[in-house]
Amino acid sequence: MGLFVDILLSGVAQGMVFAAVALGLVLISRATGTINFAQGAMGMFTTFIAFSLLTHGVGYWPAFVAALAMGFVLGAVVERTLVRPLRGKPALNPVIVTIGLLIVLEGVAGSIWGNVARGFPAAFSQRGLVIGTTRVAFSHFDVFIVCAVAALVVAIVALFRWTDLGLRMRAAAFSPEVSQLLGVRVGRLFTLGWALACAAGSLAGLLVAPLSSFSPYYMDLNLVYGFTAAVLGGLLSPVGALVGGLVTGLAIAFVGGYVGPDLQPIAALALLLVVLMVRPQGLFGTTEVRRV
Amino acid sequence: MRFRRHRTTSRRWVVAAGASFAMLLATGGVAVGNAVAGSSVARTATTGVTNSQITIGATVPLTGPAAPGYSEIAPAMDAVFKWVNANGGIYGRKIKYIYLNDKYDPTTTATLTRKLVLTDHIFADVGSLGTPTDLAILKYLNTEKVPHLFIESGCNCWSTSKYPDTTGWEPPYTVTGKVLGYYIKTHFKGKKIGELYQDTEFGQDVMKGINLEVPSSSVVSKQTYDVTTLSGAMTTQMSALKAAGAQVVVMATIPAATALAILPAYSIGFLPQYVIDGVGADPPTVGPLLSSYTTAATHTKKEAAAATALLDGVITNLYQPPESTSSNPWIQVEKKILQKYTPTLWAQHGLDGNTEYGVALAYTFVQALQAAGKDLTRTSLMKAIDTKSKSFKTPGFVPLNYSKTVHYGFEGDEVAEFDPSAGTFTTPDGTWPDAKVVSPVYVTTVGSGPVTVYHGKEPGVPSTLRNSA
Repeated sequence: MGLFVDILLSGVAQGMVFAAVALGLVLISRATGTINFAQGAMGMFTTFIAFSLLTHGVGYWPAFVAALAMGFVLGAVVERTLVRPLRGKPALNPVIVTIGLLIVLEGVAGSIWGNVARGFPAAFSQRGLVIGTTRVAFSHFDVFIVCAVAALVVAIVALFRWTDLGLRMRAAAFSPEVSQLLGVRVGRLFTLGWALACAAGSLAGLLVAPLSSFSPYYMDLNLVYGFTAAVLGGLLSPVGALVGGLVTGLAIAFVGGYVGPDLQPIAALALLLVVLMVRPQGLFGTTEVRRV
Repeated sequence: MRFRRHRTTSRRWVVAAGASFAMLLATGGVAVGNAVAGSSVARTATTGVTNSQITIGATVPLTGPAAPGYSEIAPAMDAVFKWVNANGGIYGRKIKYIYLNDKYDPTTTATLTRKLVLTDHIFADVGSLGTPTDLAILKYLNTEKVPHLFIESGCNCWSTSKYPDTTGWEPPYTVTGKVLGYYIKTHFKGKKIGELYQDTEFGQDVMKGINLEVPSSSVVSKQTYDVTTLSGAMTTQMSALKAAGAQVVVMATIPAATALAILPAYSIGFLPQYVIDGVGADPPTVGPLLSSYTTAATHTKKEAAAATALLDGVITNLYQPPESTSSNPWIQVEKKILQKYTPTLWAQHGLDGNTEYGVALAYTFVQALQAAGKDLTRTSLMKAIDTKSKSFKTPGFVPLNYSKTVHYGFEGDEVAEFDPSAGTFTTPDGTWPDAKVVSPVYVTTVGSGPVTVYHGKEPGVPSTLRNSA
């Protein structure tokens, strides 16, 4: 019973982190129809910036906010300099560019901060909460993870549903040419989409770093799980990303706890394969024609 | 007819002339080489050895997931070679050490090793790191008759008659496992044992040794992890060990995995007695990974202290003096060499488990070269290792044990506990508990033979090393 509860709770906390990664992928997919393979690496890079600030005596929360802001800026810069010039080219081109960016960011981070694995501080205590008389695998920090990602999802859904800006972003993604004719500045909205996505990636990076061996590569596996979550959720729906993240997190936690931890990545890939074969549009997707 | 014959003859002449020209070039090359080296043909015939230089190579992870800690070893080895070169070399030959970054990827190891052999013409491969990586080049180096020496891995697989040019160096994992298992059997009688190990030869070989000593009825849970996907906290494994009621947890983990196991265990209120194989227990390597608990601004001081104290009381094995024993003459000499010949590395890490390992391993190779004598060939080097290694002076507690049939290296060690009340020591990475020795030095074999106490004396530091470092 104790083991079951521990696995369930740690699965939820992990799932929320995957949801944050998936959310970034979804935002970019909606904005420019691209899969951003550098999503994890961009989060890694901004978390290293926070790490630098922390080691120079800046407080945790200013560093946290600075990393999110840097994520926003990094996303915008990448869209303007690397992705924008490829508009109208084959869909594969920006995908290849993001893979290149992933390698470059990991290399640059390694040369600046070194390839040593370290620890990264958490916002709150990582000791498990005591429920009744037993200590469970769910800490104050895990509570913060759940709340932060849930708040992000609510904010993004609200942006798309109820704001003028969100409507324009959806229009620009749905039909860029028509939107442009109607006076929507499509390019700026694409930039905004990337900026928001990378801020979400930064949040994921900050949340998962204290649970990881913090090195330039610590987001690699999280990207695989986040990608599984995004596809599971339909690649276009923020709520889908959240549900996809939770399902992926719980699935790999239970596989790890009851079957064997070495089978976790295989379980994620199996999940991905089943979804793509049985329901390619994902749990929350609609059957529209998409280029991937 | 005549015309054709003439042409044929002419073609033959061209071929013959070409061949003799090539021969002329070849012999000319040797002659020039001799003129520079000023020595006999026989000596220059050994690949990678001239009268003034010995070229050796290695593949090690300098970046990537396996790099933390391990990337320090090759530069530390190079410091020893620089010390040798500054003191006139070995029989007048200076050592050139080419170490390439394979990122712990066996495919890359295979490619880079071919480059070392074919392009750099190395005399020997010395101190390449890792089990899967060295397994990828084992056959190739033996086919090419390139000595494959002092592999940085304790896999049981380095000593076989099939690969006579390959040798291990550190104690085989099953030997360290048996010594730890023997200690558990005698000191934690009746306790429930849990196991956590890396699911590769490393973890399996250590646990083979543990399970040879510890009664199987006392083992309540066996957990593993996959090193290729290691990135997050091992909450599931530690929860399972907690649920099984393990009181003693034996771990065969690399440093990052140690931290990723004992941190979440602490989080869920699971504080067993840890027994950790020496590979993953070095405090200056594991300690910084635990810093996530100490740097958070919002943490209470009490909690931060509890997290950094997770290494206190951990039991591990040592086969050379711990870096904390500053009075030990070996430790003093090692510090001097690192400080003088690799100041950057020294400033970053000082003497920790990895830099100490590198210095000791390189010094073993230096003695092998000395023992091989002036007429250095690959055969004379292997013969020196097989017949004279027992008299090599190293910081190891037991002598090296190479012979024609056994190629492991050290085959014994002792058990120690990290005990802050015994003292602390400081490196650039922080302040760490001293290792307090809790057992005699044991020797044993990788097979089912007994674990016995070793009574021999530890060799002192040779005066040449002490005076010139």
